[in-house]
Amino acid sequence: MSSMNIEKFKQIRVGVAFFVGFLVSIAVSIDSTVLALAAIITGIIFLVLARSKAKVVVDERDKTIREKAANITYAIFAPTIATGALLLILFGKGRYLYLESLGMVLAYLTCFLIVVYAISFWYLNKKYGGGNEL
Amino acid sequence: MNSEEYKVVNKLKVYRAMRNFTQEELAQKLGVSRQTIIAIENNKYLPSLPLAFKISQLFKINIEDIFEYQEE
Repeated sequence: MSSMNIEKFKQIRVGVAFFVGFLVSIAVSIDSTVLALAAIITGIIFLVLARSKAKVVVDERDKTIREKAANITYAIFAPTIATGALLLILFGKGRYLYLESLGMVLAYLTCFLIVVYAISFWYLNKKYGGGNEL
Repeated sequence: MNSEEYKVVNKLKVYRAMRNFTQEELAQKLGVSRQTIIAIENNKYLPSLPLAFKISQLFKINIEDIFEYQEE
């Protein structure tokens, strides 16, 4: 396989997605976990190989878009999930144990998200020269 | 100062046309995607300082010749 352009890579990606989806649906219908796993792993390996051959340019504009998308996702996801957790805990307390448990799981997930954000913020702030204010 | 108080416009399209480069060729020379070139030319995306230097070195001009800072 010689080098390919991005359009060809996109076509291959769609083809692989259809192929994997088809195999997984067959695997589900015959209740075969091995077939589903084999299909997914084969698809991943094929896409990694195709990507290494394709000239996929990830440039600074893509990185900027990713950064902003991640920022927006965090800004929306963290308060939403925290509010949902609070409501579930309050609503389910003493009455619906499963709702309360789900609320607790979501609350811990929110805490984990905030901790990961704080650690990565602290690390990046250090890396880019911050944190030495007097 | 936020980004609404200033604007940076550029003449990338003009210099590209002077050199007879297509957007694809320019993108390849700069190591970015064609979408990035389109976005810069339409003043939708502000390139980083290294990319701005790369552009000015490619056209053998100063950065100020291609990028113009405008306060609003």
